[in-house]
Amino acid sequence: MRRVGGLVVALAAVITGGCSAGGDGLTVFGAASLAEVLPTLDGSPAYQFAASDTLAVQIREGARADVFAAANERLPDELFAAGVVARPRVFATNRLVILVPTANPGRVRAIADLGRPGVRFVVAAEGVPVGDYTREAFARVGQPTLVERAASFENDARSVVAKVALGEADAGIAYATDARAAADTVSLVEMPARAQPEIRYAVAVVTAARNGDAARAFVRRLLGPDGRAALTAGGFGVP
Amino acid sequence: MSRTGAVIGVGALGLTLSFLILPIVGIVSRVGPLDILRQLSSKTAQDAIMVSLTTSLMAHAIILVVGTPTAYVLATRRVPARELIVSLIEMPLVLPPAVAGIGLFAAFGSQGLLGESLDVIGLRIPFTRAAVVMAIVFVASPFYIRGAMAAFATVDRGLVDVARTLGAGPWRVAARVYLPLAGGGLGAASTLAFARGLGEFGATILFAGSFPGRTETLPLAIYAEFTRDFETALAIGALLIAVSLGLLVSTKLVGRMSPHARVLHPRRWP
Repeated sequence: MRRVGGLVVALAAVITGGCSAGGDGLTVFGAASLAEVLPTLDGSPAYQFAASDTLAVQIREGARADVFAAANERLPDELFAAGVVARPRVFATNRLVILVPTANPGRVRAIADLGRPGVRFVVAAEGVPVGDYTREAFARVGQPTLVERAASFENDARSVVAKVALGEADAGIAYATDARAAADTVSLVEMPARAQPEIRYAVAVVTAARNGDAARAFVRRLLGPDGRAALTAGGFGVP
Repeated sequence: MSRTGAVIGVGALGLTLSFLILPIVGIVSRVGPLDILRQLSSKTAQDAIMVSLTTSLMAHAIILVVGTPTAYVLATRRVPARELIVSLIEMPLVLPPAVAGIGLFAAFGSQGLLGESLDVIGLRIPFTRAAVVMAIVFVASPFYIRGAMAAFATVDRGLVDVARTLGAGPWRVAARVYLPLAGGGLGAASTLAFARGLGEFGATILFAGSFPGRTETLPLAIYAEFTRDFETALAIGALLIAVSLGLLVSTKLVGRMSPHARVLHPRRWP
């Protein structure tokens, strides 16, 4: 009996030990669109990149993150209001583009082309920052119902890019920075300035961070000259 | 020693049960029955129920119509390279669904193997309801074919020989001996495959995308609602738990009613 107990304890230790691998390192939860740029700024933290709204739910449900870098201000603001993160700071801006496969089989050259019969385009789902921005952009050009003609509501910006890069979608709406990452398979169609929503990325230190000092240092670096240089090189705007 | 063995056994059983049951208890305890009903009447849930129901039924019809003769031939005839064929058919059982998803793209997508030929006849499968049906057929059919083969294999060959001696042709043997005697096993396999198809996620979200009312099935709706409306996600989860439990219990019941039990105990024949 005692031996069994010992075995269970040993097993539990192995399992939990395995889970906290990475020890006292920094864990950064970042918007999927930041996946290329953040590691060029600082390669040492453990990164998790996903749709910002998914990350927000995970942090709210107790995921061990030290820093939350989101693709909008709303999600960090909501977590701040709930006391889950410290006050968010805006660190980057971005803009929306229409991505098309390089051969552009749907001959998409403007937002209006998306509504043409036979053009199959994908957008991100509502609630995902890039999905909300897309809906805002369609509304700004007076076509709020265009989104209903999409072939699919994808779960983050990267899935949108992937469907276009595969050639399965004739077009997709994502960030200009996404187009750079897939430049060999997709081309970029600019959207007019009047369609552009205000896209502002905000970062915040998680209140329950195990590594608060390192988290604050990371945020300072992101907001400082190093961060601005890396973001600019990655195609982002800086506030 | 044997006492230690018993303690380990009971302990392991307790661990297994509580680990498997706790998440289900967690879902049910976070939403009350009234909440579930209210959330399930939302448009998101209603759309997803319709999509899941229609695609699962269509996929299931295909699985039964094509899978039954396949299983019959493999179980009752000498087939060259049978083991290899069966292994290929069983592949989706062990394949990650994400692999199934990109595989379906690679075969039936616009840039896929058959993409150009499909384009010629004006068929673009990805992101359509047909894509959902194909994803379900791909991942669920091995569950049916495997069970159906086992059911056909347990039919007493003596009875088959008797029927043949009495002059029954192959169609008659299949229809009057094999099908009724394997019926219980076929029913159980069919139920299991349906349950697996209803829960299909990975291949669907890649190959069919996610659009409410068209390709967003119940599991996809859970994923979409996870960040948008956790209550709805929980309610759909609870619905799927109830349906899965019902299907599993009916599998056990149908299996027990299998007529071949009577064949194995001829004295109980009426």
